[in-house]
Amino acid sequence: MTTTQETEALRRSALEHVWMHNRDWTQMAEEGGPTIIVEGKGIRVTDSEGKSWIDVNGGYSSVNIGYGRTEIAEAAREQMRKLAYFPQGTTTEPLVRFVEKIGQIAPGSLERTWPVTGGSEANETAIKIARAYHKRRGDPGRYKIISRKGSYHGATGGVMWLGGATGLADYEPAYPGMVYAPQPNPYRCELGGETPSECAVRCAQAIEDLILFHGPSTVAAVIAEPVSSSATAAVPGDEYWPMLRQICDRHGVILIADEVICGFGRTGKMFAMEHWDVVPDIMTIAKGVVSSYLPIAATVATAEVADVFGGKDNIFRQALTFGGHPVAAAAALKNIELMEEEGLVQNSAEVGGYFLEQLHQLKDDHESIGDVRGLGLLLGIDLVANRDTKERYPTELHLGERLSEKLREQGLILRATDRGIGFGPPLCITRSEVDEIVAGVDRALGSVEAQLPSA
Amino acid sequence: MVSTLDAEALRQSSLRYLWMHNRDWTQMAEEGDPVFIVDGHGVRVTDSEGNTWIDVNGGYNSVNVGYGREEIAEAAYEQMVKLPYFPNGTTTIPTIKLAEKLAEITPGSLSRVFAVSGGSEANETALKIARAYHKRRGDQGRYKIISRRGSYHGTTAGVLWLGGTPSAGRDDFEPMYPGMVHAPQPNPYRCELGGETPSECAVRCAQAVEDLITFHGPDTVAAVIAEPIAMPQGAAVPGDEYWPMLRQICDRYGVLLIADEVICGFGRTGKMFAIEHWDVEPDIMTVAKGIVSSYLPLAATIVKQEIADAFAGENNQLRHVLTFSGHPVSAAAALKNIEIIEDEKMVENSAEVGAYFKEALEGLKLDHALIGDVRGLGLLMAVELVADRDTKARFEPEAKIPDRLNEKFRKHGLIFRVNSEVLNIGPPLCITREEVDEIVHALDLSLWELEGELGVAQLT
Repeated sequence: MTTTQETEALRRSALEHVWMHNRDWTQMAEEGGPTIIVEGKGIRVTDSEGKSWIDVNGGYSSVNIGYGRTEIAEAAREQMRKLAYFPQGTTTEPLVRFVEKIGQIAPGSLERTWPVTGGSEANETAIKIARAYHKRRGDPGRYKIISRKGSYHGATGGVMWLGGATGLADYEPAYPGMVYAPQPNPYRCELGGETPSECAVRCAQAIEDLILFHGPSTVAAVIAEPVSSSATAAVPGDEYWPMLRQICDRHGVILIADEVICGFGRTGKMFAMEHWDVVPDIMTIAKGVVSSYLPIAATVATAEVADVFGGKDNIFRQALTFGGHPVAAAAALKNIELMEEEGLVQNSAEVGGYFLEQLHQLKDDHESIGDVRGLGLLLGIDLVANRDTKERYPTELHLGERLSEKLREQGLILRATDRGIGFGPPLCITRSEVDEIVAGVDRALGSVEAQLPSA
Repeated sequence: MVSTLDAEALRQSSLRYLWMHNRDWTQMAEEGDPVFIVDGHGVRVTDSEGNTWIDVNGGYNSVNVGYGREEIAEAAYEQMVKLPYFPNGTTTIPTIKLAEKLAEITPGSLSRVFAVSGGSEANETALKIARAYHKRRGDQGRYKIISRRGSYHGTTAGVLWLGGTPSAGRDDFEPMYPGMVHAPQPNPYRCELGGETPSECAVRCAQAVEDLITFHGPDTVAAVIAEPIAMPQGAAVPGDEYWPMLRQICDRYGVLLIADEVICGFGRTGKMFAIEHWDVEPDIMTVAKGIVSSYLPLAATIVKQEIADAFAGENNQLRHVLTFSGHPVSAAAALKNIEIIEDEKMVENSAEVGAYFKEALEGLKLDHALIGDVRGLGLLMAVELVADRDTKARFEPEAKIPDRLNEKFRKHGLIFRVNSEVLNIGPPLCITREEVDEIVHALDLSLWELEGELGVAQLT
């Protein structure tokens, strides 16, 4: 434990020098400065004042194996002592073992891996590969990328415009070639589909319509998360992914599955695409591949796509200093090995199923829960002011902020927004830990509902 | 050492599964590649067959403290055992200490740190901050970014189109990102604007940046981004007028000045940051590589407090999130790395041994007609080869100079990647004079051999 004095000094320093996510330093100062997390084990972390928290967010839905796995630290240390780094061009043993492993566990003919350091870079690389692939094949007009409204694919220039998140006005003008399709969210189907199937079919069809409208010879790729975490774990109807695959094939468009959040057991399968037996042309992975213990991510392409770049003067031109980092690769390998040995993918499916049941029960007690959904341990609650109209609470009520505050009082690290709550805990979670979380959410929702005007 | 059998199995696996930088698997298969590096110490690395190499490239000019520093492995291990990760919305002790350290050692009022995982992300973050900064201040129209031809700032879409050369192969990724404006590179050896001295070139190239700002309209320009010394141009050191003029020009038009210290920072040029050679304070500085000597992925965007404060206050924060931003294990490794650089006076060593290295290269120039120019600062140096010294004429591509040199350097035990006639040198900063002598000797031999093959008349 850090002393109170040390904590205060660290807080002052953080307020002065750290540019944090989603928080502003003047407001944080008023609230007494940031929480400083110092230690973690399983699904729990401890702050500098000795208070223990349950990390229901699992980092950013990214600490799949849980905190405190010293085996990964041992693997990273061993590699760092031997060889801390070497750029690609030559290569290193852990990097090759890592890409070999990915090639073996990735669906279908996905087998050639371009390693990078984070999800944004992985999606940037996927898009660059897609555009270059068409150019190399003499189809230079294909540059447009279709993504779905409400999806999220990263923060760098090429990918932040995908999905069209709010708050992008700061960074205009947009990257050229962005085309937006509807999100197949069965609870709020933009195209009025009344069942998951109907919504799925209409939303997939909308993508074909967009391809035809823009002209297939201008479209490079479709990118989508198998289950969209930013749409609060909206699971598409079973027709969606097989239809997308067919549509892309029909029009020569590359299909990119963004498994950054879904991959590595998050949805109860190693990769979420396995739920629908669909093999994309390119798959991107990050987060769970290394349970966030170090920065690593990758873009995995089928041999058919990668082979377009075979031959000496035909290489894919891209270099990243830290792409294929041997220490991060060694950590990722150990992480995957532990996940397999300990059956964490199965645990995600089983405990995730139990978690979903508990959330359904919660719905019976809380009018503000409009929908409960998800797969495995990627789960979500959609919050509504009125269940019949599915209307949301007005922003001036600051529902998200109030709820986050109450969840915090329950000892839960769990972000809530005006629209809902997303769950992505470590996959090592147990049923009794789920009970603790659900009890905390129950109390937090109860006390917020008591403060809100009844709908 | 990896056993021979293992090495062959690994090699087959890498040919099938790995999509490598700058190399193609069909060619590697033919040539018996790739080489596996298994071990490193100081400026040397060892491959799976037990061969030792001197790494003249220092990774990607990025392994500043050299290979084999176990202290960094221990620091990373300790942090990973305690807390391997936590997102950057609360925070962690190493993230705070690193931000504090960077604020302390960077010039002037640079003091607010957004930590990321690589140079591309750091420059992306810098551009996003620059564009958003103007918008927050009610100056909506400023979105263009001025960079210099021949510079390199990264590979993700927001930064890929900055700088660049015709041979970069970016046509694969068209269309270009909006708002890219390109200025001349102040390379005194090949001044695009005909300046005949470093000063003349510097003044003309800085003036060209001002002309672009006034041509486009200052109220459309968000920022100028530049490396203090551009590595892709072969360590082209601008005349002393350049940076002070850029600072004045940016101030005159309300344009933010971004210094990309991804390669130059952390002692590479003989100062902690290269911008210190000219006493100029940028509005935003980006760092990567040397900050952690590449032991783990880490980079940062460091911003003047005045600029950062445009994002203070409720509902006014910068909207920019990256999972691995401010990674505590990378931060712990970086802190230990900076401590080693300071304790062992590696910045001073870079200045001193760098000067010795440059002198030795100047000596080589006396013997080799192929050497057109030797340049650089500290341990960021380059040798430029030419077909004709008087006209500075370049070799025809058919002469395959890069291929020939790569093969010779390999034969002489150097890891020294060449992809043009500009040979970039960026070894670890712990290098000694004896090691410099070894490198220069191998370079000397390689050039003799090349001259023999090309039938170039010898100077002595």
